[in-house]
Amino acid sequence: MLWWQTLCLLFGALTLLLLIGLPAGFAFLAINLVGAVLYLGGEPGLMQVVRNSLASITNFSLTPIPFFVLMGEVLFHTGVAMKAIDAFDNLIWRVPGRLSVIAVVAGTVFSAISGSTIATTALLGSLLLPEMLRRGYNPKMAMGPIMAIGGVDMLIPPSALTVLLGSLAGISISGLLIAGVVPGVLLAVLFVGYIVVRTSMNPELAPRFQHTGVRGWARWRPLVIYVIPLLLIFVVVVSAMSAGWATPTESAAVGAAVTLLVAACYRALTLANLMQALRGTAAISGMILFIIVGATTFSQILSFSGATDGLVSLVQDASLPPMAVLLGMMAILLVLGCFVDQVSMMLITLPFFMPLVQHFNFDPLWFGVMFLICMQLGLLTPPFGMLLFTMRGVAPKEIATRDIFAAVTPYVLFGLLMLCMVLFIPSLATWLPKVLL
Amino acid sequence: MQACGTLAALVIGAIVVMVCYDVAARNLGFRSLTWVVEVTEYALPLATFLAAPWLLYRREHVRLDLLQPVLSPAALRHIERLAALVGLIVSATICWYAVAVMLDARKIEALVIKTLVFPEWWLFLPLFFCCALMGVECVRQLFAQRKDN
Repeated sequence: MLWWQTLCLLFGALTLLLLIGLPAGFAFLAINLVGAVLYLGGEPGLMQVVRNSLASITNFSLTPIPFFVLMGEVLFHTGVAMKAIDAFDNLIWRVPGRLSVIAVVAGTVFSAISGSTIATTALLGSLLLPEMLRRGYNPKMAMGPIMAIGGVDMLIPPSALTVLLGSLAGISISGLLIAGVVPGVLLAVLFVGYIVVRTSMNPELAPRFQHTGVRGWARWRPLVIYVIPLLLIFVVVVSAMSAGWATPTESAAVGAAVTLLVAACYRALTLANLMQALRGTAAISGMILFIIVGATTFSQILSFSGATDGLVSLVQDASLPPMAVLLGMMAILLVLGCFVDQVSMMLITLPFFMPLVQHFNFDPLWFGVMFLICMQLGLLTPPFGMLLFTMRGVAPKEIATRDIFAAVTPYVLFGLLMLCMVLFIPSLATWLPKVLL
Repeated sequence: MQACGTLAALVIGAIVVMVCYDVAARNLGFRSLTWVVEVTEYALPLATFLAAPWLLYRREHVRLDLLQPVLSPAALRHIERLAALVGLIVSATICWYAVAVMLDARKIEALVIKTLVFPEWWLFLPLFFCCALMGVECVRQLFAQRKDN
């Protein structure tokens, strides 16, 4: 079978299975079984699929995934996150579009202490959206910032998906985690600027309302009590990593423990909400890791069948300029992001992309950050952006799905702008890791 | 299935405690637990394979629902049955070959020799139970009536 026929067969069957609603992990496993019979020698190949399924997740470098997710789940279930949101509210109550700005600012802080984009969006959506709608905010102005900042969570460490990207692509995990900080914070600043300008020009988008304005120490006290200690979690994770006290993997566990400690200090941690947080973590991590079980062997079969080499050689032989290849890879990621989840995006494309990255001598951190921005956009682009679904889950039924799509559009454009900025100014991604590591 | 979810949650909790103890012990000069990294590596698939049947039961695995809005309820039911059937075949096949791998490993008395030493076939037990439970769940979904029908 020619390489392109193999490629069509494997991807065609995979698409079909995904379309009938088979869970992504099962779809990959089903194709692996077919691939094992066709390309790995039948029975021995099927036994190898079983061995690979286990080996794919018997990997210490994947353990930050549950740890980072646990940090977000603990903040969500203990109610500590809500207190932090109130603290921001006291601080910026004069700013136009105040609740939307709070969503972005609080989301940025939560990004620094939670490794789950879904947890951040669900948290902000369930806490802030009802209040925004009750205050007469335009639904688009209410939902857009929440979804957008949920996506930025992926760029600001800790991030479970960043760890996975580093692990699968062979890029330094600590370098990649730190490289996302500058683009992530810049995006948050752009979002705040956009909200303030839009709501100043059209106050009906976010009507001002009376606030029991607190002054002096009373205004700052909640920030000191409920936000600064949360930032301590971020500092502990990054310090443990960069000071060499713990490996990047271990520092994620330390971060989870410090989050539990902070929640306990607020007397917000109970056995019941701890179990809720752990079960939520088991669910989100289980979803991600089960896809890896299937998708790792899928990329091995692609490689073994010659499909990977065939496609990579085709690109190399076309003598395209490196920038055209890079733009092509980003375009593929942006299109894929509309249809498949982030883990599948990595597992489908990395076997083809990483040999090209090495061939064209692209900086892996630079490429990794652009990959992350594309995945972040994939969370927000219809029809299958995961955060659009998350928002659909927490938004009232009266809000149409098309309004959710429209709400996120300006923020997708900002994401594309950031992608171009990193593309043409690589130091946005590579400067901080060089300084800190 | 609910017990699987709770067990997976407890395994994750245990990993956090073990890794944190190891980091603290190493940096404070206490005796480090040399087996932590290895046990954590084994605990990750254990938690995943415990969570997988539970997630299938709660229909929480990542899946595309592109066809859902455009299909009639009857057509949707057929598609769901087809998906459950494919899931059953996949689970049963992997379950079967997991047994084959375990028997193979037992026959040649294969050992895992790292910090801990134990028979290799133990490693495949969680995968076997996971696929067996998922197979049962697929059968249930195959014959279950849709609540919203």
